[in-house]
Amino acid sequence: MKIGIVGKGGVGKTTTSALLCQVYAGRGQRVLAVDTDSNPNLALSLGLEPEAAEQVPVLPRSLVVGTGDGAISPAQLLKDYGVPTPSEVTLLNAMAITQAGAG
Amino acid sequence: MRSLLGAAIEEEADVTLVDMEAGLEHLSRSGGTLAYADVLLMIMEPSRKSILTAGRTIALARELGIPLVYGVGNKARPGDSEFFESVCAEYGVPLAGVIPHDTDVVESDRSGQVMGPEQGVAVRNAVEAIVAFVDKAMAGEDPGQAEREALLRERERVDKRLAELSAE
Repeated sequence: MKIGIVGKGGVGKTTTSALLCQVYAGRGQRVLAVDTDSNPNLALSLGLEPEAAEQVPVLPRSLVVGTGDGAISPAQLLKDYGVPTPSEVTLLNAMAITQAGAG
Repeated sequence: MRSLLGAAIEEEADVTLVDMEAGLEHLSRSGGTLAYADVLLMIMEPSRKSILTAGRTIALARELGIPLVYGVGNKARPGDSEFFESVCAEYGVPLAGVIPHDTDVVESDRSGQVMGPEQGVAVRNAVEAIVAFVDKAMAGEDPGQAEREALLRERERVDKRLAELSAE
C-alpha cells in the first residue's frame, strides 16, 4: 500500500507522517517513509540524530521518476539508499525534483 | 511501465508513506513520487489558506485517478471538527479523522526531541483511528456507509413524525 501525505506547508504533514509510520511499524509491518524535503525533518521525527539525518543519501532523480526498467532492484535500492531509524521505519530521501534541479 | 517507487517497491515494504513537502508537481502523471498512490491523505489545519490548498489538491488527485482521497483535520481545538466536516463535505471527500492540537507535539517540534510513549496520547489515538479508517477503505469497505445509513433512517423517522404533527 502506498500512502501520500499532502497539504499546505506548516499544517503538520511531517509530524503526522511520522506518527502514521509508527502505528504501521508497531503492528509489525515493513514501513518505508519517503521524504521529499531537502530539510531532514522527517528523519528527525523518526528519531534520527541531526548528524545522522544530514547523512541520509539522496535518491537519484532517475530512480524517483524512472520506470525501473534495467535499473536496480527495489531490494538493492533500499540497501543502497534506505536508512534504518529508531522508529523501526526505513527512510528514503527523495528530495523534491524541483529542489534538486534548482540546487 | 512502473516507477521504482511505485508498485515494485511493494515487494520490500508493506506500507510506503510519502511525505510530500512541496507543491502539487509531485502529483505528476509522468511518474513522480506520488504516482500509483493508493491513498491520499490531505492534511488541513483550521485556516482558510490550508483549505484552499486542499481544494486544489483534491481536484488534481481526482484528475490523476488516485482512488482514495481523504481529508484529515490537524491542530484541532474544540469546535474545529465541525469546520473540517463541512469543508470535506464541500469538496466531496470523506474526513478520515481529526487530530487534536497538542502542546506535546508543539514542544517536541521545537526541541527536536521525539515524543515519548506517554506524550501526545490524544494525538496518537487520533492517528490510530485514521489508520483504522484507511484499513477499512483499503478493504473495500466504505467507512461512511454505516453513518449514512443511520442518518437516512433518522431522516425517515423525522419526516414521518413531522408529517404526523402537521396532520394533527
